[in-house]
Amino acid sequence: MQALQYSPLVERYFGNPVGAGRWPAGEGRVAAGEAGSEALGTRVRFELRSDGGVVTEARFQAFGCPHTIAAASWLADHLPGRSLESPMPVPILELARLLEVPTEKMGRLLVVEDALLAAVARARR
Amino acid sequence: MRAAVVYMDYAATTPVDPRVAEQMMQCLTADGCFANPSSTGHAPGNAARARVEKARAQVAALIGAEPQAIVWTSGATESNNLALLGVARAQRDRGRHLVTARTEHKAVLDPCKQLEKEGFEVTYLKPGADGIVRPEIVAGALRKDTLLVSLMHANNEIGILQDIGAVGRLCRERGVLLHVDAAQSAGKVRVDVKEQCVDLMSLTAHKVYGPKGVGALYVRRQPRPLMQPLIFGGGQEGGLRSGTLPTHQIVGMGAAYEIAARDWAAEAERLTALRRRLWAGLEPLGDVLLNGHPEERVAGLLNVSFTGVEGESLLYSLPQLAVSTGSACTSASQEASYVLRALGRSDQLAQSSLRFSLGRFSTEAEVDFAVAAVTEAVRRLRGLAPAPAGH
Repeated sequence: MQALQYSPLVERYFGNPVGAGRWPAGEGRVAAGEAGSEALGTRVRFELRSDGGVVTEARFQAFGCPHTIAAASWLADHLPGRSLESPMPVPILELARLLEVPTEKMGRLLVVEDALLAAVARARR
Repeated sequence: MRAAVVYMDYAATTPVDPRVAEQMMQCLTADGCFANPSSTGHAPGNAARARVEKARAQVAALIGAEPQAIVWTSGATESNNLALLGVARAQRDRGRHLVTARTEHKAVLDPCKQLEKEGFEVTYLKPGADGIVRPEIVAGALRKDTLLVSLMHANNEIGILQDIGAVGRLCRERGVLLHVDAAQSAGKVRVDVKEQCVDLMSLTAHKVYGPKGVGALYVRRQPRPLMQPLIFGGGQEGGLRSGTLPTHQIVGMGAAYEIAARDWAAEAERLTALRRRLWAGLEPLGDVLLNGHPEERVAGLLNVSFTGVEGESLLYSLPQLAVSTGSACTSASQEASYVLRALGRSDQLAQSSLRFSLGRFSTEAEVDFAVAAVTEAVRRLRGLAPAPAGH
């Protein structure tokens, strides 16, 4: 078993996640999207509020490893102000580099990206 | 004052008891029993030999064996290898079949795989959902060419106890040798190789407050199974295990086993109470599953799966607890514990399991601390997770 070692950014966003949770039903227009499954170890859900094609607020829920939770939280923190046409604050590979995600865990970050893009697609409708 | 980290990984290893360490120290330096115990032509060598033989008697006493039946090794891994490879290679003309269980330690499974490469056949028995391999399942697997059955006494991951006596009697009736990996049970539950009809038993020191790097293999006498050594050289240990005997290690194992023989019953009672307290504290979390038979187990070991949380995040949330996990942590494959999988747990549940193992220095306060820490971590992670699909 490898030792559990994480970057300071993962420690920060895992320890004190920004944007965790979901809005109660009926509290305004919310676009939701999700990806992954518990059986495969990673499941992520995003909720977005937008105005005029720009994200105003974002929330996430995640079942997954610390890298997954940190990545989802980092995105929820940096999404406000992004346009729905170009929602990713940084490319997912760049986020993996920022969080120092091991190469073998890249698949989990792609689940995070898929969940966000699913929410964005709903928001664009 | 509580230590920074609460240690609940006694099934992985234990600290050396200070009384044991003191005796070991007497065998290291020039003013102690440092001489080679095989140098019986002079007094210092004889003094060292006497300490080694005293330890042999101490280890034998714990398992109801004669001292001459104890062969020193470097630990249970070597003992398992010596038992399996030693018997199979020496007796290959008599049979080419062995029987073991899917939930054995790798130190049994890997020698079995090696023997398969050498032309042997191995039957890997599936335990019940409680982890127990029923004796009738063993009976059904025996063949005319079966040389040996290898079954661990206490499982290292889930702590359940196999009915060694029943399997032993069965094997004895059928003329098949029984090897028992007792690394997790010797010094924790009653072991009697004669009553339980055991032919070979692997033992280690470091699971019972002795040093790492020393163990023993009990080899039945009268009749003694035909065996080949793995290590050749000076012919120590009746030629079965060459190499200069590490007096201080052996003395440490003897001292640890003597303490265990005296204290295990009272200790088991205390640890059973602590384990029940731990389970009673964790169960109210809901959606927690006890792995393995609830009662047929060593006193201090509890393995629990937590639904709705991911294993690596759970472990990372508990820096103040030294426990083991059923996950392979950061590996890409997320390979889950093969023991829990053999019991029928899903990959996800196997991966989100924790093994708590309590020991001589565990306290009620530590158990309560662990309950509080795990409860907080599980609730937080469940709170972060989306509702399960379909809800």
